[in-house]
Amino acid sequence: MNLDLPALLAQTALLLLMAPLLSGLIKNWKAKLQNRRGPRIWQPYFDVVKFLRKDMVISEHASWIFLVTPYVVFVTALSAGLMVPMITAHAPMSLFGGALALVGLLALGRFFLALGGLDPASAFGGMGSSREMTLSAIAEPAMMLAIFTVAIAAGSTNLSQIVLASHGPHWKFLDPSHALAFAAMFIVLLAETGRIPVDNPATHLELTMIHEAMLLEYSGRYLALIEWGASIKQLVLMSLLANIFFPVGLAADATPAAFGLGLLFLVAKLVLLAGAVVLVETTNAKLRLFRVPDLLSVAFMLGTLALVSTFLF
Amino acid sequence: MENLPATLLNLSLTGYVLGAVAGVLFLRAEKLANIFTFGCASMASLCGVVSSVMVLVTGAAAANQSVQLLPSLIPYIHFTIRVDPLSAFFLLIVSLLGFALSTYSLGYAKGFFGRKNVGVLGAFFNALLLATVLTFVADNIWLFLIAWELMALTAYCLVTFDHEEAETRKAGVLYFIMAHIDAGCVILGFLLLFQASGDYSFASLHDIGAQMSSGKRDAAFLLFLIGFGIKAGIVPLHIWLPVAHPVAPSNVSALMSGVIIKTGIYGLIRVLFDFLGTPPLWWGVTMLTVGTISAVLGVLYALMEHDLKRLLAYHSIENIGIIVMGLGAALMFLHTGHTVLAALALIAGLYHTINHASFKGLLFLGAGAVLHATHTRNMEEMGGLIKRMPQTAFFFLIGAVAISALPPLNGFVSEWLTYQALLQGFGTTDSLMRLIFPLSGAMLALTGALAAACFVKAFGITFLAQPRSKQAEQAHEVSGSMRFGMGVLAAACVALGLFPTQFVQLLDPLTQQLTGQQISAQLSLANGLVLASLTEKSGTVSTLGISLMFVCLLPIPFALWLVFARKSKTRRGPTWDCGQRGLTPQMEYTATGFSKPIRMIFKALFRPRRDVQREYEFSPYFATTIRFESHVEEVFERRIYQPLQILILRVSRQIRALQAGSIHAYLLYIFVTLLSLLLLFAR
Amino acid sequence: MNPPTSESAAHLITLLASIMLVLQLLLVVQRMLVANIRVFATQSLLLAAIAAVVGYAYHAPHVYVVAVLTLAGKVIFLPWWLERLVRQIKIEQEIDAFVNVPAAMLICGAQTVLAYIVARPITSLERLGNNTLAVAIALMLIGFFLMINRRKAITQVLALLTMENGVMLAAIALTTYGMPLVVEIGIFFDVVVAVMVLGILVFRIRETFASMDVSKLNELKW
Repeated sequence: MNLDLPALLAQTALLLLMAPLLSGLIKNWKAKLQNRRGPRIWQPYFDVVKFLRKDMVISEHASWIFLVTPYVVFVTALSAGLMVPMITAHAPMSLFGGALALVGLLALGRFFLALGGLDPASAFGGMGSSREMTLSAIAEPAMMLAIFTVAIAAGSTNLSQIVLASHGPHWKFLDPSHALAFAAMFIVLLAETGRIPVDNPATHLELTMIHEAMLLEYSGRYLALIEWGASIKQLVLMSLLANIFFPVGLAADATPAAFGLGLLFLVAKLVLLAGAVVLVETTNAKLRLFRVPDLLSVAFMLGTLALVSTFLF
Repeated sequence: MENLPATLLNLSLTGYVLGAVAGVLFLRAEKLANIFTFGCASMASLCGVVSSVMVLVTGAAAANQSVQLLPSLIPYIHFTIRVDPLSAFFLLIVSLLGFALSTYSLGYAKGFFGRKNVGVLGAFFNALLLATVLTFVADNIWLFLIAWELMALTAYCLVTFDHEEAETRKAGVLYFIMAHIDAGCVILGFLLLFQASGDYSFASLHDIGAQMSSGKRDAAFLLFLIGFGIKAGIVPLHIWLPVAHPVAPSNVSALMSGVIIKTGIYGLIRVLFDFLGTPPLWWGVTMLTVGTISAVLGVLYALMEHDLKRLLAYHSIENIGIIVMGLGAALMFLHTGHTVLAALALIAGLYHTINHASFKGLLFLGAGAVLHATHTRNMEEMGGLIKRMPQTAFFFLIGAVAISALPPLNGFVSEWLTYQALLQGFGTTDSLMRLIFPLSGAMLALTGALAAACFVKAFGITFLAQPRSKQAEQAHEVSGSMRFGMGVLAAACVALGLFPTQFVQLLDPLTQQLTGQQISAQLSLANGLVLASLTEKSGTVSTLGISLMFVCLLPIPFALWLVFARKSKTRRGPTWDCGQRGLTPQMEYTATGFSKPIRMIFKALFRPRRDVQREYEFSPYFATTIRFESHVEEVFERRIYQPLQILILRVSRQIRALQAGSIHAYLLYIFVTLLSLLLLFAR
Repeated sequence: MNPPTSESAAHLITLLASIMLVLQLLLVVQRMLVANIRVFATQSLLLAAIAAVVGYAYHAPHVYVVAVLTLAGKVIFLPWWLERLVRQIKIEQEIDAFVNVPAAMLICGAQTVLAYIVARPITSLERLGNNTLAVAIALMLIGFFLMINRRKAITQVLALLTMENGVMLAAIALTTYGMPLVVEIGIFFDVVVAVMVLGILVFRIRETFASMDVSKLNELKW
């Protein structure tokens, strides 16, 4: 086994640095579409630094679970990111796990975040944990079906292998089954990153928040880690979508030019995807909690249809 | 010594017998009884662990021969045992769990001092372990059935250990009835096999299915599926399990959920893979479907529970479902002749079997510790225990992460293998049936995610936040031997999670025996660091690697801390209470509240019913008392078992007419039966 | 017969067809009436695009006529007319359905699988795309289900229209050159007339019963 250390470091840095930018971009565009000026796209960096410098208040009811949660969330998101091909088809840690491990790692982060929400004995946190676990539970089968579709087509659950299989001249622009799987994954993306039809990232209104409710008791550097972790998770899922379904422009050889081009393509794909997310967020209202399963059942059905349409022939 | 494993096994069996005898001897001296019974059991199971590992490591040769255990006094009934790899694997499970449980019991049984007879508990505990071990190593139908019945009976006695309570007695009766339906089915199934072979030894039954007509083979399959299915607790035959497991003492619950239900799995594997020969397609499809349904329904019902032990019992149904999914997939692969894939699916199922034994045992022991400390099983009365029982909480957390199939612990590994088997199974056939693989995979994902939700609830409500009752406030950490027992199982969870490739090597003789393939070499990459699904290309995972990655990435947040936050201060303060005066435990989220969204989403299944009674004097907003009740319908009890029960009672009432009560009438019945049988055979 | 002139045309058609299917599923979920009409318009636009691609790739100019007709009729005229109708009679925006969404999704999924199974033996005949025919059948089946599932008359009109979209797609998929032009134009005008008649009927139902709920037509018996 050979470990490509420079690639590993580069991807870690990319994940760390690009994630806040993506969040900032989405926030900025959303504001623009609503005729507001909106925060600068760099704002999340300043936020993170500010949070890091702040003092912390920790609930007196909280136990060590509350204290380790930020680290778990951050580290799991980052490790999941190292399994996703970003600039080249070869993810640095693809040998250590593929799609299933990625889902598992994100679930581990969520598991601890939900426990962290319950720990300070606040009803808000409990509510957030309950809803987060419920919604992620019903989003998971849809996501798995979509992943299965591409995984079976590629004969591998390894993300690098999946990308390699559809990369190059064989790649057909949005195969019908891929289109269906993409639609399913997109809905799951909205749910997993707490976007508007499912959760509202901008609100702190008790009855509607899900993700934010769990973070209510966090402050200072712990909040910074969790927020950063959440934006890394968003970046990971979006680059997963971008590179699995649109594997163009990935660096083929290890030259600086190829890497530069790969980076450029990645940014372009992420920007497009962010645009789609922003459009959905501004044109839709948040769904009532018990309407969300309807949406996710659509995602599940799309995933099933994706499987059916590829493999029934 | 030449045949060390066999000697050790004999030693272990003797140990259990001694333990049981000691229990009877020291009926009046509870301290001695405690030490001797559970001491014997732990020594005996330690011997069992060593013996089984030796068999698995050295391969089949050493112990794979029939050994006469006792001289047979009755013709045909031979007490012969044989430890083939399959038996050895299950022997490993029972011994490993037996060891942890026995040491745990040394402390746990002290809670019964002065209240209950520990000698009885210890005697039956040993007898149950003995019966279970005999079930796994029996080499002929007779010994198997005797051990099977002995197991059912001793388990019944242990379930009803707290027989003062009506709930326990009722659970015992239900368990008793179900255990006998299951024994009946198993006996009938073996009779069908015996018809073809004409011999009682298991060796003669090998591949006997090839000599049977397909109708009889199918009948045998169904009988065994029902018989062993009841023992394993697959839906819809599971109804006894969530009733009987929780009422037993916790060490017994752990034994039942960890091992006893696995005897059903052992029976299924033994019969389906060893005896019945190449299966038709529908067997595998049935198993896979039943397994999927069990997994999903098990976890859904678990979510609705706020009795900690019942919750765990429902999770046993879920995990049995996952195991059965692996077996079903393996059967489908055997049908199409893909023996390598069959070995993979079988390994997935077996891996999950031992995983489930370790983490479910651990969780039940944790629940037992909590019960020991708070004297309640109701989660709504717990809370804040992590500060009062830190080590128990830590062990429970390990079990919770493992059962939720989260990396890097063992539940993740076996579910990963199951996913791989299902995904690769897709290419084995062209028929429409192959859609079942990814769909059951998706249901497995649903199961995993719901299990995570359930254990956030179980751990969060039980151990975190503020104590919800006086008992929880006054809870204390449990004794050293109990923590040791939990520690052993927690270590097993971690080891099985981090070193899958090394463990899979132990399964080689087993898959060789059942499918004719050894695939551990194909599953291992990079000196065993990485687990691959047959080839590197089709998917790899490394739990050890993931853990290393965690360790390597952790400096990043700490570096951030050092760079930016060196001067920041941390202070403790009250939780945000919206400006009211302090949070009380009543304001915390409850277990029932936590699972409410799921209850609402799946209300077609649960048919939740709620009942609010409010008493007030002036206005409904100022109630003096409020009573709230909420129920979830037990679909299977209402829709299947109740009508069945009514039918049986009605038929029984008709039959009662025959019970004339006069001795002459009975003699007449016997005479007529005799005559008609004679006529039948004289033809 | 003649092979597809270009791989990419066939691919594009299949892709567009599957997006039509996605939109059809969206119709099942979407509860707002106006949004429903717009989704239908988008779906028809895709149909027109498919017709145009067929016309271009197989050099069948008369298929262009179908494309233009679809564009004019189903993308522009009918949605406009239906939206006007909605505004005129001031019906409520939200649509009632008999079956809840997850169950409806399951039913639609089963119908799609059925469509694929039915289309399987005919695949050899089909020369356009891989599973366009299956999608067409699925569109018809789901359209039928939509008609059953919806209470309000106007949504049944929409469902009928989506079924017709399915028929057109099947026509294009099955026969490279489309059906004879006359037949297609005939179907097209049939549907337009049917929709207008239904629209007027809806208007009358509304006036008579002060509701569009078709289950109220029971009352005519008395």
